[in-house]
Amino acid sequence: MIRVDGLCKTFKAPKRFPGLRGAVKGLFSREYTYTTAVDDVSFRIAEGEVVGYIGANGAGKSTTIKMMTGILTPSAGRVTVAGVVPYENRMLNASRIGVVFGQRTQLWWDLPVSESLSLLRDIYEVKPAEYQERLAFLNGVLELDEFMMSPVRTLSLGQRMRADLAASLIHRPKVLYLDEPTIGLDAIVKERVRGAVKELNRSYGTTIVLTTHDLADIEELCRHIIVIDRGRKVYDGTLPELRAAYGRGRTIRAHIAGFASFDPAALDAALKALDPGASARKEADELVARFDASATGIAKVVQALMAACEIADYTVEETPIEDIVKRIYAEARRDVVAGDSVAGDPAAAAGRI
Amino acid sequence: MRYLRLYLKYNAQNVKSLMSYRADFLMGFLGFLGNQLLGVAFIGFLFSAIPSLAGWSFDEILFIYGFAQLPRGLDHVLTDNFWILAWRMVAKGEFDRFLLRPLPPLFQLVADRFQPDGFGELVAGVAVLAIAWGRLGLNISFGRLAALAIAVTAGFFIYAGVKLALASLAFWVKNSQGYLFMAYKVGDFSMYPVGVFPKALRFVMSFILPFAFTAYYPAAAILGRESMALGLGGSVLAAAAACLVASLAWQSGLKAYESAGS
Repeated sequence: MIRVDGLCKTFKAPKRFPGLRGAVKGLFSREYTYTTAVDDVSFRIAEGEVVGYIGANGAGKSTTIKMMTGILTPSAGRVTVAGVVPYENRMLNASRIGVVFGQRTQLWWDLPVSESLSLLRDIYEVKPAEYQERLAFLNGVLELDEFMMSPVRTLSLGQRMRADLAASLIHRPKVLYLDEPTIGLDAIVKERVRGAVKELNRSYGTTIVLTTHDLADIEELCRHIIVIDRGRKVYDGTLPELRAAYGRGRTIRAHIAGFASFDPAALDAALKALDPGASARKEADELVARFDASATGIAKVVQALMAACEIADYTVEETPIEDIVKRIYAEARRDVVAGDSVAGDPAAAAGRI
Repeated sequence: MRYLRLYLKYNAQNVKSLMSYRADFLMGFLGFLGNQLLGVAFIGFLFSAIPSLAGWSFDEILFIYGFAQLPRGLDHVLTDNFWILAWRMVAKGEFDRFLLRPLPPLFQLVADRFQPDGFGELVAGVAVLAIAWGRLGLNISFGRLAALAIAVTAGFFIYAGVKLALASLAFWVKNSQGYLFMAYKVGDFSMYPVGVFPKALRFVMSFILPFAFTAYYPAAAILGRESMALGLGGSVLAAAAACLVASLAWQSGLKAYESAGS
């Protein structure tokens, strides 16, 4: 559905100097700063996938999305969405995609939601029967009725987000881009937005590309994830693969009998015999054992625990996805420092503005 | 046809949202109406001190002044969004949404805003023109009305073209409102006979920012004091040139657009 090959985007800006004198100097200077926001990124997204596109602030997520939606033209490389190059054939592409920017509404500020939707119906030339059917569907998952007649400027952030989602879906796009759709939303609205995205993907098979800082979005919605850092792709695979590759750490938390007098030193030594990186210690009112599941089996650790003390109950936790992503970043940056071409690259030296 | 229908649809919505700001609309309308009346009063004061201006009578100047408000007011009503483009759309990345809908961005830019403040200029212009017309004792012939219609249309395209060309600079400099203000100053001069201005300014308002063709030349032609070839032909040519330059600036501006922020 989406093919991205060797995509690059470099922004050119006049070089700036600090202070008022610097500002004047900048006016007459012919020097430029080049900032590479996206650097040789390639990936494929299949039809019907829900893809999480993850990166820190300034990693190049939004720039990539803007090239995929046709707002920006790449400096190098190529994007095709359902066979169309978005920035060359903008109107055709626009008729097939839906876009929601969490930070910025695309609705008409002073118009009631219902009027915005009916204007969009005319713009996308949606047939009346289809329009009614979609509106009913969207109303079902997003509960639009309560604010359908209110001007957009009077909506709460959560309502506005739901209205924006509805507006981006009225023409049943093949691909939906969601740029930070849950930013600033409370837990209940987040849940509703996620539910709507899932429902949409299930009912219509819409391909969805999602950028987010909230990794819970990713865990709940996406199978395929792509991670970029400083403009470069650092991971591309499925969530289970990611867990298998990075998420080997496990934590067992146990409530035990005689906790106050229990000394974890012997248990700690027993675990270190199984896995040198493992540990056992007391935290608050729990006995906590940490180990690497690829070095030793869970069963062996549990056996060791049961031999050392009397367990009332216990839980096993996987590595949270936040930690995995942090690790990917750390590894990517270490590679860059240890490597290679980047040191001599003026763009990388200039960094992000 | 589809675009005309959509344009009307857009504007029906624009009018609806204006209704939620009725007081705002009234203030804007009265503001621009008052502005025009002050302009007329200024001409009145001018002529109370001098009997004629470079061979032009009070009524003739009034005629040109009234005429000048028509293309200017029309442009004000229809293409006011060019000001917003020049001011903040590019700088704030608000232009993004025009690139995400299956319609030409220029169409959306124009259709997205309807500025009734401009009716202040139109109402004042029609009134002043009608009064001057009567006082000059011109008869109302088909030829004169047709010339008026053509000249107002051409004048509208000159305003729109110059505005769009200068507003498009925002794609590079982010805020190009200053250039628009400058152009409008030249537009203000166009309400007086070009003969009263020094040569350099006359050149600028005829060939660089051809606002003289939105007012003085066509109005003087209708009065019979300049040739129709210059008054109408010149206006149509100037309009075509302005639109051509605007189209080039707009097209290359779209390519240079960099969006903004996240």
